[in-house]
Amino acid sequence: MFSLTLPFDLAAGWLQEHAILPVLYALGLMNWEEVAFGWALFAVYGATQVVLTYAICLPLERWRPVERWPDSRAVTVDILYTLISRVGLLPLVTFVLFYRIQVFLNGWITDQGWVPPTLEGVFPFLLGRPVLTFLLYVVILDLSEYWRHRLSHLFDWWYSLHALHHAQRQMTFWSDDRNHLLDDLIGFVWFMVVALLIGIPPMQFPLLVLLLRFVESLSHANVRLRFGWLGERLLVSPRFHRAHHGLMAAGVASVNYGGVLPWWDMLFRTADFGHDYVPTGDPTAEEVLATGGYAAQQRAGVKRFLRALAGFSAGEAKLMGMPPPRHRR
Amino acid sequence: MRFRFPRHLLAAVLGLVCLTPAARALAHGLVLVMNSGEASLSVVDMGSHREIRRIPVLREPHHWALTRDGRDLLVGDTGGNELLDLDPTSFALRRRVPVADPYQLGFSPDGRFLTVNGNGRNQVDIYDAATLKLIKRFPLSRTPSHLDYAPDGSRVFVTLQDTARMVAIDLRTMAVVWDEPVGKVPAGVIWLNGRLVVALMGEDGLAVVNPATGHVERRIRTGAGAHQVFLSPDRKILWVNNRVAGTTVALDAATLSEIRGYRVTGGPDDIAFAPDGKLWITQRFTRSLAVLDPATGQIEEIAVGRQPHGIFINPNADPATLSASN
Repeated sequence: MFSLTLPFDLAAGWLQEHAILPVLYALGLMNWEEVAFGWALFAVYGATQVVLTYAICLPLERWRPVERWPDSRAVTVDILYTLISRVGLLPLVTFVLFYRIQVFLNGWITDQGWVPPTLEGVFPFLLGRPVLTFLLYVVILDLSEYWRHRLSHLFDWWYSLHALHHAQRQMTFWSDDRNHLLDDLIGFVWFMVVALLIGIPPMQFPLLVLLLRFVESLSHANVRLRFGWLGERLLVSPRFHRAHHGLMAAGVASVNYGGVLPWWDMLFRTADFGHDYVPTGDPTAEEVLATGGYAAQQRAGVKRFLRALAGFSAGEAKLMGMPPPRHRR
Repeated sequence: MRFRFPRHLLAAVLGLVCLTPAARALAHGLVLVMNSGEASLSVVDMGSHREIRRIPVLREPHHWALTRDGRDLLVGDTGGNELLDLDPTSFALRRRVPVADPYQLGFSPDGRFLTVNGNGRNQVDIYDAATLKLIKRFPLSRTPSHLDYAPDGSRVFVTLQDTARMVAIDLRTMAVVWDEPVGKVPAGVIWLNGRLVVALMGEDGLAVVNPATGHVERRIRTGAGAHQVFLSPDRKILWVNNRVAGTTVALDAATLSEIRGYRVTGGPDDIAFAPDGKLWITQRFTRSLAVLDPATGQIEEIAVGRQPHGIFINPNADPATLSASN
């Protein structure tokens, strides 16, 4: 039976058989075999995501850039964020943790005489209709991501971590994954709770996940691209998401929080379709969050987070010679 | 001098005949494959060697067990936390039974018990085979993997993959009678000639274990990453799949000496035996089955779903009997 995922699966299988297994065997780590295969699948799809995004977004950015920079070294660190997030350790940890927690929790629920929640359990007609099932999962997860993202702008301590994502003044398609590790961790826990409630099956829809991640990368691209009146209301465009990253939108009073679907912004009155290609960045963020290296940005994020937890006000922080914990407008 | 027909030549001719389209058209039978990576079961026609149906399940099917009367085929959907009770001929779903983390499963030879290994939850559950009511749970660390029984059904033996150990559970007293180290990453286990033969995925072969004490008596080299062991229907050959070496090896079941090895790539895992003597082997990494003709060494690959794991053959099933409801 024809399958679009076949080339990806075969590539992951080849990687597993010819590269990973011999190493695991030699190191006496064969009990990691199943986990390693899960990572191989993530890595192959992640690498494809990166290549696909690069192949499409780079020509777009060259064609109609919003901004041109004489020196774009600040973008380099975003490439590292992308590789770590999509190909490296993060997918492995996410996969292993989520899978193990799901197995334990759902098994426990089964033991109590309950059936673990799944969308297919609530709507049996979805069984055997993977695309429809997946689209429903997308809508639910995107709604939950909207609220996670909105709350990350609302709380001081949370925005102190999220500011790293907003600090980039040279926003490109690489910027989607520039997040603080603690912010990623909170995002993972958030996703996990929702995913457990609706019974997300990990790795059952890899190709569609790949497409969704592409939409998210594209929305950060440095390109003058709009989807038209209707299109902008169906799918998050680079123009729409750029308004969220605007200088005036950093912090609590931001707009356009949606990741893939702009519906939630329209529904909860945070949509702004009026701004055209505004400059990006967070004026309150330390310079290192914009132009520093990976480790320096992570350290700066932790310091900012601790200050926010300690409850320093902007004035107190200034007195102590520190940047304000966050920008409140 | 007595004339002896060259057996290898005969085997080769028979092998070629068996692979012709005409021979396939005469063949009957269906093969059910558990695609653990994409929540589906593949149905393969043994005549045409093609996948003719893909049955959706909830999450992650791995292994199966047939009831003693042969009337019910139970497939464990590990991630879905349920057993699927199927008609073994039409593969029609009869009922879904909620069971926590059913990875490996097997009925005892006396038909009284169903043992279910919860690989992710580190537990072994003993069920009443007739009612599927849980009798006792054994929390066992860690990752209970494969299982086999003593022929009289008095004990079940379970490999614990991550802790290099194996346990024996007495089914009369419902107690663990021994818990012993057997070698790195033990996986497949089988009772053979009064001993337990255990495939060691972290080593290059098998451990022969005394079922009374759990002590390793011998080690047999078969190839790197020995994963699964299956006894041929005539009980003369022990087949071993070596995951890392990428080989399937035939051992003399009486002596455990090697008869012949075959190159089977793609992560060979479970085996089902066809009446024509061929081995149907799931290949975890290549979305395929390898149909191995031991006589000729010829291998044909058949595309199925992602990460095929368990495999069940019913030579009496026919594509026409396949349930329309699937």
